[in-house]
Amino acid sequence: MSRVASPATSPPRAPSLRWSRWRGRLRIVAFLSPWLLGTGLFFIYPLIATAYFSLMKYDGFTPPVWTGLTNWDYVINVYPFFWPALRNTIWLVFVVVTLRVLFGLAVGLLVVKLRRSAGVFRTLYYAPHLAPPVAATMAFVFLLNPGTGPVNTILGHLGLPEPGWFNDPAWSKPALTILVLWGIGDLMIIFMAARLDVPLEQYEAAGLDGAGAFSRFRFVTLPNIRPILVFAAVVGVIETMQFYTEPLVAGKVASGQIGGSGQQVEPGYPSKSTLTLPELVYNLGFQRFDIGAACVVALVLFALSMLFAVFLMRRGSGFLAAED
Amino acid sequence: MAEGTVIAADVRREGSTRRQPAGRSWSGRDALEWVAVHAIAVAAALFFILPVVFVLLTSVMTDQQALTRDLWPQSWEWQNFKTVWNTPGFLTWWRNTLMYAGLGTALMLVSSIPVAYALARFRFRGRNVVMMVVIATMMLPPQVVIVPMYLVWSRQFDLTGSLWPLIIPLAFGDPFSIFLLRQFFLTIPQEYVDAAKVDGCSDFRAMVRVVLPMAKPAVAAVALFQFFYCWNDYFGPQIYASENPAAWTLSYGLESFKSAHHTNWNLTMAATLLVMAPVIIVFFFAQKAFVEGVTLTGVKG
Amino acid sequence: MARLHRTVGMTAAVVLTAAGTACTGSTSGGAEDDPTEEVTIKFWHGWSAPSEVAAINATIEDFEAEYPNIHVEAVGNITDDKINQALRAGGDNAPDVVSSFTTDNVGQFCSSHVFVDLAPFFEESGIDPEETFPETLLDYTQFDGVQCSLPLLSDAYGLYYNKDAFAEAGIESPPKTLSEFEADAIKLTKSDGDTYSQLGFMPNYHGYETTITHYASLWGPTYFDEDGNSNAANDPAIASAYEWQKHMVDSLGGYDKLEKYRATFGDEWGSKHPFMTGQVAMQLDGEWRAGMIDDAGVDFDYGVAPFPVPDDQADTYGKGYLSGTIVGIASTSEKQNAAWEFVKYLTTDTDAVVNFANAIHNVPSTMDALESPDLDVTPASQVFIEIAQNDNSNTTPASPNGGAYQLTLQDVGYGYESGEITDLHAALEDADEQIDADIDQAQ
Repeated sequence: MSRVASPATSPPRAPSLRWSRWRGRLRIVAFLSPWLLGTGLFFIYPLIATAYFSLMKYDGFTPPVWTGLTNWDYVINVYPFFWPALRNTIWLVFVVVTLRVLFGLAVGLLVVKLRRSAGVFRTLYYAPHLAPPVAATMAFVFLLNPGTGPVNTILGHLGLPEPGWFNDPAWSKPALTILVLWGIGDLMIIFMAARLDVPLEQYEAAGLDGAGAFSRFRFVTLPNIRPILVFAAVVGVIETMQFYTEPLVAGKVASGQIGGSGQQVEPGYPSKSTLTLPELVYNLGFQRFDIGAACVVALVLFALSMLFAVFLMRRGSGFLAAED
Repeated sequence: MAEGTVIAADVRREGSTRRQPAGRSWSGRDALEWVAVHAIAVAAALFFILPVVFVLLTSVMTDQQALTRDLWPQSWEWQNFKTVWNTPGFLTWWRNTLMYAGLGTALMLVSSIPVAYALARFRFRGRNVVMMVVIATMMLPPQVVIVPMYLVWSRQFDLTGSLWPLIIPLAFGDPFSIFLLRQFFLTIPQEYVDAAKVDGCSDFRAMVRVVLPMAKPAVAAVALFQFFYCWNDYFGPQIYASENPAAWTLSYGLESFKSAHHTNWNLTMAATLLVMAPVIIVFFFAQKAFVEGVTLTGVKG
Repeated sequence: MARLHRTVGMTAAVVLTAAGTACTGSTSGGAEDDPTEEVTIKFWHGWSAPSEVAAINATIEDFEAEYPNIHVEAVGNITDDKINQALRAGGDNAPDVVSSFTTDNVGQFCSSHVFVDLAPFFEESGIDPEETFPETLLDYTQFDGVQCSLPLLSDAYGLYYNKDAFAEAGIESPPKTLSEFEADAIKLTKSDGDTYSQLGFMPNYHGYETTITHYASLWGPTYFDEDGNSNAANDPAIASAYEWQKHMVDSLGGYDKLEKYRATFGDEWGSKHPFMTGQVAMQLDGEWRAGMIDDAGVDFDYGVAPFPVPDDQADTYGKGYLSGTIVGIASTSEKQNAAWEFVKYLTTDTDAVVNFANAIHNVPSTMDALESPDLDVTPASQVFIEIAQNDNSNTTPASPNGGAYQLTLQDVGYGYESGEITDLHAALEDADEQIDADIDQAQ
């Protein structure tokens, strides 16, 4: 607008400045408007409502009744699924996240090593990551079926023990871990890219110093990709806390209790070993219709997720920084 | 620029810079290493491929054989796929999934791009707070807010039993996409935008005419991610669409397929493949966009 | 015990209706529609097998022929979770008439007013439920004296046995006591290394219908005391059921071996059911299995008998666990009078009940239908009709949080059969505490 302004028609200075500042603000608000509305409607409002319902007795039918901390007491002290779910989550956070990072790193570095044949292998390694979780889980429950599944068939031929996998509380989480590792594609690419980003000169310098493969990894690769490792680990923790579809579907399919009418679906089959916190929200909120208690679990889940999100923003200020 | 650097993920880049110097010949050690590395690569490939191979082999077995320990089909029952395809509802699931993913992705792009642009280009107080909220919501498990959201969609809007409660929110920006796009927009030099504005473009036109064409890879990546997120989503349809079979998606229907089909593993595995297939096919065509997209998520400072 | 439960229920009903009218007026407010006008009602049911869907659709057609102004839109393959969810959501998509395969959620449906109290409708139509339906069936369709649902055919549980396998093992007649049953099960079991070529009986709780409540019904358990508190640790009947099951697990090869064998079983509702493939020789199952076996065709002769009873209760032989499909009217429905016409037809019209029972091989759920000459009586169905009419047959009582207490008890079972729980009594005491706390939370 300033392009056509001539001294004769230009309005007094001060109002113009204020006007343009307003216009600037309006412009920002206009650009941000979808997000402002969305965050208010789909994040802030429901979060407040969740906190509110967590203090109410509400079954979705009769009007909510204020019960204070009763739901909190119930979930923490009585509800039989809460602690098993939390324990499972801790197990998964330690084992799955560690293995995912290590395996992803190994596969990523392997692809870099492959050089010219990298393309084909990269494609093969990445593709499973895209498999819809329900489909992948059903496939793995079949593959790891203790009686007739191909994996145990092969183990049997080799004379190895045949675990009960998704049907055995001791093996159900390892089975889920294998399923997760099968979809490692995203981490592989991230690590591959991080490794390729390491300046070549550093390897050359290390080579001149006569460093072996291990020293090159230890003293060149590792320090360079450390931020990405932290990033992968923290995101892994957050993803693991959101683990829902795979354990739910695996439990349903393996137990044979898959949604026929009149069947009581047993969450966390076998023996609560695959329960996760998000599953509890579903169990309490959409099976038992104890909306108050469901909101308690939702808040616990929220607190844990935000804890790690803050950690990520702090530690990872390099790659997630808000400021530039 | 510094912190928004995007790693070009193409292995070929390394391949070209590390091409063997012309004068140097292959030593025995190189050959040995080549064999070792490729042996490991093949072993790893088996881990990723064999599950699909077994699923495929089972999907063409007879009902009888699928429940035995046989690994190789005695006869190839390709009509299993036809049986699955002709299951009542299967086409509806396809249509619904496509609508959810397609419409959801389009709405997400329209709503997220301006937000990302504002966060990358405008300087304003509270921008860091906005960024932090974006990151926080990006990491929010959907289960945290599901209970009140379900009550709103069912009581206020009477939209449960459909996929609309999943599609409509995408018209209000998706945090993950906003974050990724913003990171990419930061890498586009400000001079281009300034030049456009000198030519009389508004910010909106500068975004559409200048920034978007340069950000095609990022836009393609977030679109693909969103499309696949919707395509694979199970929790959302489970909550909002489960009560109405006419609104089921493939992921949700696949599970019910198992209960309706009385665990014929062969048919279940055929259905599993039919649900996976489009994803894998799209991947082969859009591989580059995927790889670039994933790399974007690992953007570093 | 059923009688006692009912008396308690009726007393509670009087108290509740007196107290309830003041604050739950909304439940009767919906019944103002005119059932003679042109109207379409939505009916949700759980049947998914093609033959069953055809049977319910035929019943609906007959109804529409008789009541031409009421049209029924049926949706099948609906689970209880979805029913619960949709009824809470209300609105245009929600059903008017709902049926469920399980009686477990009746307590929840009645106490949270998801289903309307049918008493006013009985009065209007001049139906006396006590003269229409068998007592146990009325028991499991009401809660705290509120009859909010009605039985739509019933299920009785008995013993299926493979006659060919019996002949081969030299067993002449089906066992009548549990000790005979154990001996027969062992005789019928052919171990093959670490698996079986034939198993006499799959005792593990995941062996489909072999749940703790189905076992425990043989001892005549009391799940709740007069105050409504969980009674599992105090009732020796319940502990006996757990102990007997564990004993069977141990004498048939142990938990691990049985579990591994179980994983080779086909689905419960398919033609690869282990009894139908000959993998197990005896099965605790409902009357519908006979129809499934006949439809699928098996290459052996099978017989049906009441499930054997504990040795010290040999005189009660002939009893069994009873359950059934239930049907109710959604309190969110604005077409409750039309819905009632449909429910009345489904559950009390003798021809409708008989035809439907014949079509899906269930036990009819009204006294008249049980006596009807049109009922297809096969040797198998006769056994189940008698179990259904046996005075000692029993069911699991309704509770305000649905079947949650059964899941808690079942959990003890999973721990006990696998050896994880060794002190059964302590585990049952914990379960009692858990069940009481869960019910408190639900109320």
